Amino acid sequence: MLKNQLILKDPLSFLGYDTDDADKKGRFGAVTSRAGVGKTAFLVQIAISCLLKDKNVLHISVQDPVDKVNLWYSELFLSLTQANDRKQSKQLWDQLLTRRFIMTFETESFDFSKLTARIEELRTQNIFTPQIIVLDGLAIENAIPSDLHALKNFALENHFTVWFSIRTHRHQADDPVTLLKQLDTDSEAPLFDMVIQLLPLKDQIQVKRLALDNQDNSTPSLLIDPATMMIKESTDK
Amino acid sequence: MKQTMQKVRNIGISAHIDSGKTTLTERFLYLTKKIHRIHEVRGKDGVGATMDSMELEKERGITIASAATYCQWKDHEINIIDTPGHVDFTIEVERALRVLDGAILVLCSVGGVQSQSITVDQQMKRYKVPCIAFINKCDRSGADPFRVIDQLREKLNHNAVAVQIPIGLEADLEGIIDLIAMKAVYFDGEFGDDIRIENIPDALLDTAMEKREELVDAASMFSDELTEAVIEEAEIPQDLLISAIRTGTIAQQLTPVVMGSAYKNKGIQLVLDAANHFLPSPLEVDNEALNLDENEAPVHLSGRKEDPLVALAFKLEDGQFGQLTYIRVYQGELKKGDSCINVRTGKKIKVGRIVRMHSDQMEEVDRIEAGYIGALFGVDCVSGDTFTTSGLNVSMTSMHIPEPVISLAIKAKDNASETSMAKALNRFTKEDPTFQTFISKETGETIISGMGELHLDVYIERMKREYKADIITGEPSVAYRETITAVTPFDYTHKKQTGGSGQYGRIAGIMEPVADAEFVFENKITGGAIPTQYIPACEKGFVSCLAKGPWMEYPVTGVKITINDGAAHSVDSSEMAFQATARGAFLQAYFKAQPVLQEPIMKVVIETPAEFQGNVMGSLNQRRGIIIGSHDVGQITTIEAQVPLSEMFGYSTTLRSMTQGKAQFTMEFSTYKQVPKSILETLEKKNEKKTKTGT
Repeated sequence: MLKNQLILKDPLSFLGYDTDDADKKGRFGAVTSRAGVGKTAFLVQIAISCLLKDKNVLHISVQDPVDKVNLWYSELFLSLTQANDRKQSKQLWDQLLTRRFIMTFETESFDFSKLTARIEELRTQNIFTPQIIVLDGLAIENAIPSDLHALKNFALENHFTVWFSIRTHRHQADDPVTLLKQLDTDSEAPLFDMVIQLLPLKDQIQVKRLALDNQDNSTPSLLIDPATMMIKESTDK
Repeated sequence: MKQTMQKVRNIGISAHIDSGKTTLTERFLYLTKKIHRIHEVRGKDGVGATMDSMELEKERGITIASAATYCQWKDHEINIIDTPGHVDFTIEVERALRVLDGAILVLCSVGGVQSQSITVDQQMKRYKVPCIAFINKCDRSGADPFRVIDQLREKLNHNAVAVQIPIGLEADLEGIIDLIAMKAVYFDGEFGDDIRIENIPDALLDTAMEKREELVDAASMFSDELTEAVIEEAEIPQDLLISAIRTGTIAQQLTPVVMGSAYKNKGIQLVLDAANHFLPSPLEVDNEALNLDENEAPVHLSGRKEDPLVALAFKLEDGQFGQLTYIRVYQGELKKGDSCINVRTGKKIKVGRIVRMHSDQMEEVDRIEAGYIGALFGVDCVSGDTFTTSGLNVSMTSMHIPEPVISLAIKAKDNASETSMAKALNRFTKEDPTFQTFISKETGETIISGMGELHLDVYIERMKREYKADIITGEPSVAYRETITAVTPFDYTHKKQTGGSGQYGRIAGIMEPVADAEFVFENKITGGAIPTQYIPACEKGFVSCLAKGPWMEYPVTGVKITINDGAAHSVDSSEMAFQATARGAFLQAYFKAQPVLQEPIMKVVIETPAEFQGNVMGSLNQRRGIIIGSHDVGQITTIEAQVPLSEMFGYSTTLRSMTQGKAQFTMEFSTYKQVPKSILETLEKKNEKKTKTGT
């Protein structure tokens, strides 16, 4: 009951994504913004929605320790369920925990081959089979495009979607799509399939779905409250 | 004062078992003239090393309990805490590490970085203790200190750099080359007391130059002045090089490595020099206390003698003159005859005799100043207590002591053992607030409870060894508990008329679950339906049902009782009658309130070399564990999981065999969660069997 109620708050569906489409295997999504706007909070909300839909989420952080990532989840879940019965929420939270796995790396020790080896190990030993991967804190501008394409192929083979947080700089802020397209190679299909941009307005944050080639040109957006990082209202839907 | 404090070192010696740390401490004490003879750990004279003051340690040649000792080297005062090296005794190690400002990591030049070294290294990192490394046993066949330095870099992620190189190795070990002074140092005399300094032998000059270059390179990262000197190819003053190494060491970004052989008395004076040069003084370490007036918010301690007193009792020992309390003063000073407050109890204590410990001998002093370690006599306290000046409400350790989660019945085999066991339990409960003991009302057995299987094992072993108590232990049992999940009304009348005065009472109300409380009682009776004088009896009756749940006989928690109606009889009602009524009402409502069984869930943190992480995670999954996450740092992966305590029995053995002894884990109570149905059925069957057999 509570679960169904919370699924309705899925930020991706607010942005007009067909969520089944968004979860298709091998897809790459990006949440872009300048530093400190709320990429992690938004990604965690996407992840919680996936957990509610009984999908296994592997959250990889290249910046925060496990405890901090865990805190993001518990705080956002608490905000999401604050109007609901506490006991019921706690029971649901305990259920969701079994579907979530946090993996953190120190920036210096992170590399894609290590990451895929770890995921492979989790899968083959039946420890955890991710369906959604959240990759937070990676400096995408330093990533080698071939590594990203290898990850995309790995995602395709192993049936999972990857959501990235991508930090943009002042000069790129208005056009993250171009930044992401620079990572594409001629020989392979485009890397990213979904791009969401967070823009700080005066006292709220606008979340915009950006159009990619050959996709619809409507760009729905919604607003989030910077105090709680929760969705305030949907607009332009 | 500041001048003096800069010359104080509170250091620990951490190492793999048998790497020679007790021998090293023995040499330190000899060289600093604290003892006048050297007794080997397993020496033929049967005296044992001075630091191994406990019988078990003497017998096994290992060190279990940390003894604090004080000595002077050159113009520095050094307090040495001899820490245990065995993995099972981490309570002792961690307590010792808390009061340390720096440490010497002892490694064997043959064995190198072994699993135990990884353990103690991780503990030091956890407590942010800067360290220097001493590669011991360079006289042994197969000694290779440079291989050990490589291992320090690869396995422990230390930025390790040699500040010395050996002159000869194995049986040919003659002395040490000091790469800072660029001199050869020889240790003559029976115990290596006579230092002879000479020029570096020609054959070793090139190696020495090369290693010095590496040292200067590494140190220059921590000093602009040194970098400039290197660029300008100017002569590097010794002080500048020492200061750069010191900065790197204190920041825990550089590990200077010294080497030698404690057993052959070679290089020990240089280890003491290195401790003086590179390890921090109490002034260079940030110490924090918890402000109890502000929800345990951290407060910085100044370390100044003039400020109000803050001291921590970190170890208790039963000596021939009563309880000896090891204490570290973090701020202010503790003077003989002064009064201070034990923050935990709020009681004022008068400071009597103050001593400085030298293993199990002592030296009387008038005061202990900030930064120093000493011991007090006749102070009633437990380990972890904080002493402050009146009015300062801060604590060095959290006041939240977790409830024990596992218990075990123990029985002494004979009368003598019973007395020893009582003595031991009295001491252990004082030393460790998470270790508790009580007598079971039903079986009359002594029950000990603590934070894990290993925790209890350590104390049972100590009772056998230190107190010679012959003990029989029962099966460990997990502290399950019952709670309710539904709101249920009740209305119960107790009526008894069997001759003599009768018993009458009626109580009506609601039983409901409550979070974050064991029991809540609310009286909403209006109009005197139950006379006021019987209300406490009602509460007492309900409380009496909590200790042993009506369903599985485990304690009941998380229950709120609200009484809102009832009736009394002018003759037949009494306190006893209302207590009985409350018990009846509880039973009436309890099973309708959908009771569930909860089990303790532990937060388990495992540090393992990355190659074993898959197996370790698999083992946690098998134990109904939920893996919260994993964190990769260098070659080590830290895995955090939540696992039911009942599944963790024997896990240390499993983990050791799975990881070749290279992983370690810590476990602490996290929360209570409902027992899954499959496990509940097993427990119910077990319970039925127990009831049938009456055991």
